[in-house]
Amino acid sequence: MKKKQIAITLGVMCFILTMSIAIQIRTVTSSNSTASQSLINNGLRDEVLRWKERYDNAYQELLESEKQLTQIREKATQNNTTANAKQEQIKENNMLLGTVEVKGGGLEIMLADNNAAATNLIDPSMVLVHYDDLLQVVNALNNAGAEAISINGQRVITTTAITCEGNVIKVNGEKISSPFTIKAIGSQGLLLGAMTMAGGYLDNLESWGVIVNVKTVDDITVEKYNGIINYKYVKNK
Amino acid sequence: MKKEKKNQIVMTIIIGAVCVVFFAVMFMQFKTIEETDITAIENMREADLRTAISEWKGKYEDTQKQLESNRKSVQEYQQTIDKNGEASELIDKDLAESNMLLGKTDVTGEGVIVTLTNTQECVIEYSHLLELVNELRYAGAEAISINDARVVTTTDITQINSRMQVSGQRVASPYVIKAIGNQTYLSSTLSLKDSGFIDRYKASGMDIKLEKGNNVKILKYNGEMKVKYMKEVEK
Repeated sequence: MKKKQIAITLGVMCFILTMSIAIQIRTVTSSNSTASQSLINNGLRDEVLRWKERYDNAYQELLESEKQLTQIREKATQNNTTANAKQEQIKENNMLLGTVEVKGGGLEIMLADNNAAATNLIDPSMVLVHYDDLLQVVNALNNAGAEAISINGQRVITTTAITCEGNVIKVNGEKISSPFTIKAIGSQGLLLGAMTMAGGYLDNLESWGVIVNVKTVDDITVEKYNGIINYKYVKNK
Repeated sequence: MKKEKKNQIVMTIIIGAVCVVFFAVMFMQFKTIEETDITAIENMREADLRTAISEWKGKYEDTQKQLESNRKSVQEYQQTIDKNGEASELIDKDLAESNMLLGKTDVTGEGVIVTLTNTQECVIEYSHLLELVNELRYAGAEAISINDARVVTTTDITQINSRMQVSGQRVASPYVIKAIGNQTYLSSTLSLKDSGFIDRYKASGMDIKLEKGNNVKILKYNGEMKVKYMKEVEK
């Protein structure tokens, strides 16, 4: 009678023990070991590259098709003055929209983090360039009549947001970092006057310790917007 | 009697030993699970990679769509040339589309309406409007206006004392900022806990109202867009 009880107890114990070992083995196999993990990551990395390549190819084709479209528009409207004027208007709109590369007289502003000064400060953020500094500079340039602006090669268009995630600044969703080169086309006199004004935004930045450099350039190239302007929600009234 | 007692002791020892093994196994298991937490970093990288894939995929699909529409347009122009026809209808359509993208037309669509009102505690500054516009753009706004002054690429928001101007047009409190875009993205971005515009400024006593609208109307840019200094770089 007692032997039976003991046997049952032992049996139950063995059962639990086996179960727990089985569970443990399961856990170990399912917890992605570093080897299998990096294998997955490699696969994913390959896939990222594949999609990027596909995008790059499609984008090149898109640029080609835009050129074709502009050319054929010119050809189709060459015999009609009104239509030709409209075609010219589209070309001008594209410059304003930022979908084509433009050049002209303008200003080049360089803003950079003052790393040397940052190490000696209790609050180093004073001498760093923040996203809202870029926002203010773009606003000031617009106020001075800038026709086209880019920051580190990213054209500023109607939908451009300048944001920060941690210590990374993003323009048009693309990461950029110090030093920042802001190019603007417009009246050189007005732009330079506005940006070097005593008590102006750049003057303040410089007095806080940020590295600021402003110069006029006679023939400055402002890059085109590197994406597609495609509205999904806006409808013509 | 004596034998039974001896048996009992043996059994107890065996059961005790089994228990020790059992706990040891349990302990090892816990340790393994603890270690798998380290792979969270690895997993995060995987999540990042997956986000990257969907981003590139989305960009590729948008590009492909635009490419097809461009090719179709080229074909349509070619057909009118072949038929010696008038391209005026096509050019009108393209110009209307281009003007819409630029902000030269009145537009409607789903979106949000944010109202900022001056209070004794908090007076709205131009930088608040600048930040709000930037945040709406980040959330994918396709058209924005402040008190019916359309915000376009070259729009500046300035303030001299208490006089506020948007694209040179005077605006005053209450500031009604309309944005067309995905309603959910727009409202949830502004309402993000701590980092969203509403949370950031409500704490300092700003009077902010956020409404969703299914048919937000935004007026066209009320000025001239002139090109005086820039030229297209032909390639």
